[in-house]
Amino acid sequence: MNLIRPGEKQETSPKPSDDVWLPSSCSLCYGTCSILAHRVDGVVVKIEGNPDSAVGKGRLCGKGVSGLMSHYDPHRLKKPLRRTNPDKGIGIDPGWKEISWDEALDEIAGHLRRIHEDDPRKLTVQRTTTVTSGRSPFQSFAAGFGTPNISTAGGGLHCGNGAHLISGIMHASWSIVPDFEYCNYAIYFGASKGHGAGHASCSNMGKAADARAGGMKMVVVDPMCNFASAKATEWVPLRVGTDAALALAMCNVMVNELGVYDAPYLKAKTNAPYLIGPDGLYVRDAETDAPLVWDSAAGQARPFGDADAEDMALEGSFEVQGVACRPAFEILRQHLEQFTPDWAEEISTIPAADVRRLGTEFATEARIGSTIVIDGVTLPYRPAAAIAFRGSQGHMNSVYNLLAIDLLNQLVGSADMVGGCLGFNPACHGHPDTGRPYYVPHPDKDGLMIAGMWMGYLYPYPIHEPALPEKTGLQDLFVLGMTSPFLSSTDAEELWQKFDLPYRPAMLINHGCNLMMSIANKETVAEALKKYEFIVSFDLLLTETSDFVDIVLPDCDYLESVDSRSNFPFIFSLPGGMGEWCWPIRQPVVEPDGEQRRFADVLADLAERAGFGPDYNAALNAGLDLQPPYRLAPDRKYRSEEVCDAELKSKFGDERGYEWFKEHGLIKWPKKPQEVYWRHFEPVRVPIYWEWMPTVRDKMNAITEPRGITMPEEYYRPLPDWLPCASHTCKTDGFDLTAFYYRDSVHTNSYTMENPWLDEAARLDPYSYAIAINAKTGRAKGLTDGQPIALETETGRRVTGRVRLTEAIHPEGVGIAALCGHWSDGMPVAKGKGVFFNDLLELNWDRCSPANINLDLCVRVRVGPAEKTSS
Amino acid sequence: MVIDLKRCIGCYGCQLSCKAEHGTPPGVLFARVLKREEGQYPTVRQIFLPVLCNHCEDAPCIDVCPTGASFRWEEDGIVDIDHDKCVGCRACMMGCPYNNRYFNEERLDYFHDAGATPYEEARTMRHQDGVVMKCNFCRDRVRAGKEPACVANCPTVARYFGDLDDPTSEVSRLIKERDGFTLHPEVGTGPAVYYLPQ
Repeated sequence: MNLIRPGEKQETSPKPSDDVWLPSSCSLCYGTCSILAHRVDGVVVKIEGNPDSAVGKGRLCGKGVSGLMSHYDPHRLKKPLRRTNPDKGIGIDPGWKEISWDEALDEIAGHLRRIHEDDPRKLTVQRTTTVTSGRSPFQSFAAGFGTPNISTAGGGLHCGNGAHLISGIMHASWSIVPDFEYCNYAIYFGASKGHGAGHASCSNMGKAADARAGGMKMVVVDPMCNFASAKATEWVPLRVGTDAALALAMCNVMVNELGVYDAPYLKAKTNAPYLIGPDGLYVRDAETDAPLVWDSAAGQARPFGDADAEDMALEGSFEVQGVACRPAFEILRQHLEQFTPDWAEEISTIPAADVRRLGTEFATEARIGSTIVIDGVTLPYRPAAAIAFRGSQGHMNSVYNLLAIDLLNQLVGSADMVGGCLGFNPACHGHPDTGRPYYVPHPDKDGLMIAGMWMGYLYPYPIHEPALPEKTGLQDLFVLGMTSPFLSSTDAEELWQKFDLPYRPAMLINHGCNLMMSIANKETVAEALKKYEFIVSFDLLLTETSDFVDIVLPDCDYLESVDSRSNFPFIFSLPGGMGEWCWPIRQPVVEPDGEQRRFADVLADLAERAGFGPDYNAALNAGLDLQPPYRLAPDRKYRSEEVCDAELKSKFGDERGYEWFKEHGLIKWPKKPQEVYWRHFEPVRVPIYWEWMPTVRDKMNAITEPRGITMPEEYYRPLPDWLPCASHTCKTDGFDLTAFYYRDSVHTNSYTMENPWLDEAARLDPYSYAIAINAKTGRAKGLTDGQPIALETETGRRVTGRVRLTEAIHPEGVGIAALCGHWSDGMPVAKGKGVFFNDLLELNWDRCSPANINLDLCVRVRVGPAEKTSS
Repeated sequence: MVIDLKRCIGCYGCQLSCKAEHGTPPGVLFARVLKREEGQYPTVRQIFLPVLCNHCEDAPCIDVCPTGASFRWEEDGIVDIDHDKCVGCRACMMGCPYNNRYFNEERLDYFHDAGATPYEEARTMRHQDGVVMKCNFCRDRVRAGKEPACVANCPTVARYFGDLDDPTSEVSRLIKERDGFTLHPEVGTGPAVYYLPQ
């Protein structure tokens, strides 16, 4: 038989002169899974997962396997561009002119020198979180230059402002995840771990599937039944943004109705036994200043470090040093009494009986008191986990939502215990040969946990002293805020004036962020961008933001780049739980087809041209923790391969430099129970009572009240509450639904809509490019499935799209996928597809949490046919 | 093949890894994921159903093909298409009760007027136009000792590939132990793709 089929034809073709599989790392989302890229005759013809790696275990999500279509996008930038039209605005043609790299870099360096001499703080460095390899170079560039204004993803407002704060303070990690291998009961609050993109996405998909197949009950609390909730044992629909109400009522059921909590854990691993005086503060030892506990065995108060944990009282009232005091747990217990299941039903719409049942299930499934042996080590076994992410944290109540949810873990003692709620790798004892990287959480003077590793210079705890802001984002005043809306908000100038910010931003260096779409409505962001004197942007494509950029630099993509630390820090995107430590790298698979350059090389070049090369190198030495003799010398410029080589040798020894990693792709070694379940071993406590909160408020008010702003008391209490978003208090007629967006598994964290394979998948998906509305609600409004509709906010913002009437959404919710609705001609595949949710969002103080300045990401809307709603 | 609906999360990894493996043209999807809702709010489920050619035991596509282009490999039972014999009449597409065949009418590039990417030149251009295309269980990979691309890549390990004629194979065991079923058994074509219930 003479057949021509793909497989056969390949075998009869002349043998290619170049046919290799190269180990490297994906970058279609920040999960950064390990890949094998197949190059034949200079063309990347396939990307597969690297089965040697713990990151993805040889499998990739739909985005990952589609990466080569992004790589070969013919619209990718190939030469530096300079605008010729000084007018900047949405849709105004910048009049791009190709320029040489020398011309571009000299001009940028000129601006850098000018800004540096004037006030280095006038430079803002903005980078995408998707390209994890950008973190160290851009942070080091900003540090070397001397600006504190580092921002991520347009402010990171759509990331985990509250989630990362709580994960950092309570779990010493960037995020939390069920210990899938041992968990029996996981309750998700607005999270998709294991069912979408994100931290350790592919690895978690496999782990979650194993857990579900193995019988783990998964309860998903979410206004929409998709992704994680579609796979849940039970979907619990709730009113948007009311997660804390359910979590607090569950805590109340556990503590006050059932009397079930892990007392030994609370005594040994939290500040629950610390005595609280009538002022709400710790009662401290007069001599050592240490917080006191009531030692039941001794019948007296003692510094927490002097008493045996088992003897510490959790309940009761005492008199110590002449003041009446109670253990923090006693105050928490009484605080929780107000959060009845009936109260929670009224706020969240979740039936009280279900609230009570969920609390009972969680308490029961945690198996308090049980132990398990892992690798010969006996450990507490608490197979119940409560996790949360973007859905529940993207609200005014960001901090309390997440704290309330984590209280569930703390009360049953499942935080970082076997089967419970794990931080991603908070402790690592290092490779057996070198002992590096080494980090573990450690206690402050009050016994509370300081993370061993973090993603930025400022750790989440100890809480910093509020100060008059030096940052344009005002995070040095709002010390719980990890990211900030005030780089672009309508009231930024007003706030900067109020707080005597001694300068104004003048120059922006942007890496890969599409600010015009990734923050809030486009008009507000456009006004902010127009105020910069000079913007330079590293990009793969011309985006909506490019309209405001002065010089665009064509970036290399992930298949053309180098990175020494694809999945480090391990607290970010290495899979949690037992298994292997795994340190993969990124290496170039092909050379750029134009004049694209790697951003790390360009930054080194700019630092040299602008005269702060030695400072940049010093910042890299610190940021990468380079040990002698691998530290970068101050007086020369290093290429990215050299920096990569230095870090690898510093971490893993002289014989394991870049060349070794190019061949092997990664290094791995087994995790130990003492690392994964570090909390059982490390002498640290976490705060179930945030004693510092009122003090932080007092210190902030000392700064803000003379300037006319008082921090609302309810956001600065030591114990969590449920506080409403603007959408919950809206009473305007007709504005009866709450719009939110969700992370679509193929359309999150990068320019996925421009990838034609992913676009094709989304066009076939019933939801990706539509506006999801509850079928009954929609029919009552006279809507029919598929018709064009408009969503309009009270402030007149408006978006349109086709409605998808669905049974799988709360009757009050309006669900929109991801970040669609591009309009840039530089992204023709993406242009015009889907709905631009962020265009509904206002960006100002009123829409931000007064605690952590988190932008509220839900918005009250009215809905009607597109042709009938006024614009 | 066996697809475990309990493990599948509808991530489109199968659809897109298939595309990456074969470089199929726009609109041609040997593997797809269908989504459907079952029930009414709040007792509703969203169902993800990955589909592909069922490689039926009694394949109507072979029966209706006037040129013999649609055929079954004797040694492994895989239903395939000889593109040199296919005249593009599309009778097989009408005959397939599962709608898993595609007509590659004319050459299309994913970036339209911008032309074919180097990847498409290397992979997609190998496909003939004017012919019907479909999944062949990655026969070239299987013969090389690998799993089909969609099986090898599935992030949730929801897909299994093996010999249904061997009662001791993993696929046979899974079908037996977990009450595996086929889609639309009433059409009587004997699909070789089984599903394990949610």
